[in-house]
Amino acid sequence: MKGIKRMIFLSLLVSIGLALSLFESMMPLPFIAPGAKLGLSNMVILITLVVFGFKEALTVGTLKSIIFTLATGSVTSLFYSLSGSVLSCILMFIINHRFSNIFSLIGVSIFGAVAHNFGQVLVASLMMSNIRIFSYLPILLLTSLFTGYFVGLTSKFAVKNLKSSFDNIFYSN
Amino acid sequence: MNKLTKGDKILIFTILVVSLLSLFYTKRLATNFDEKYVSIQVDGEEIKKIVFDKSIIGKTIPIESEYGYNLIEIGDEKVRVIEADCPDQLDVKQGYISRVGEVIVCLPNRLVIEIKGVAEGEVDYISH
Repeated sequence: MKGIKRMIFLSLLVSIGLALSLFESMMPLPFIAPGAKLGLSNMVILITLVVFGFKEALTVGTLKSIIFTLATGSVTSLFYSLSGSVLSCILMFIINHRFSNIFSLIGVSIFGAVAHNFGQVLVASLMMSNIRIFSYLPILLLTSLFTGYFVGLTSKFAVKNLKSSFDNIFYSN
Repeated sequence: MNKLTKGDKILIFTILVVSLLSLFYTKRLATNFDEKYVSIQVDGEEIKKIVFDKSIIGKTIPIESEYGYNLIEIGDEKVRVIEADCPDQLDVKQGYISRVGEVIVCLPNRLVIEIKGVAEGEVDYISH
């Protein structure tokens, strides 16, 4: 019973992440650099990581990337988005697990955003075999600082409420 | 609850400093050349090399590959993409690039447009 509830919540999180990604791709943003986004779906991964755990967060991130590719139809972007989310998930897990006494969720989220950008730039430069693409990284890092901060702040509020309701659901009955 | 910890502040500060420093570094790196040319690469292979010249200002160059189509416009010491068949149009939105080391990337079409600097007399092909 708990397994099914868990699965339903995880699939809900995947669909929230997907909706956020689609919403984000429709939103007109001031153009800063290619690949600079709000990273709203990172919120879902971060929340999953804190409320459920590493394996679940990785699953949600991967599924979200794959379904987003199916929804938008650009296959090449799958590699960029997948590499970014897997790398950011791993780093956020390490920071959240080992260094949670030093960094709050905001710090964890910034680490995730930085790792996400680094992964994307790395894969892009590998695929294009051009190291020059790394010249985008400084400006992407600057934007990830802001987006990471707000994603972390939002996740913090969400986790505060979600954690208690999830605990109620999973441990009361 | 929503206070930043000391670690957070140090992290934010470090990233800020590192990214600003590397930003200045790439800018400085770019100003050390006097001869510039445009290098157009598809899938990592250079397919065209264009040296800036007064006579080619306003010229458009179509790039068609198995990955897609882009139309490039050469300006006065600068270059931009004006048309592309990729869904996000990020390369078109980027506008002009003019400094050595700057790149326009179109990921779906695997296109890289890069401004390179050369030491004198190293141009081996001029496209008009």
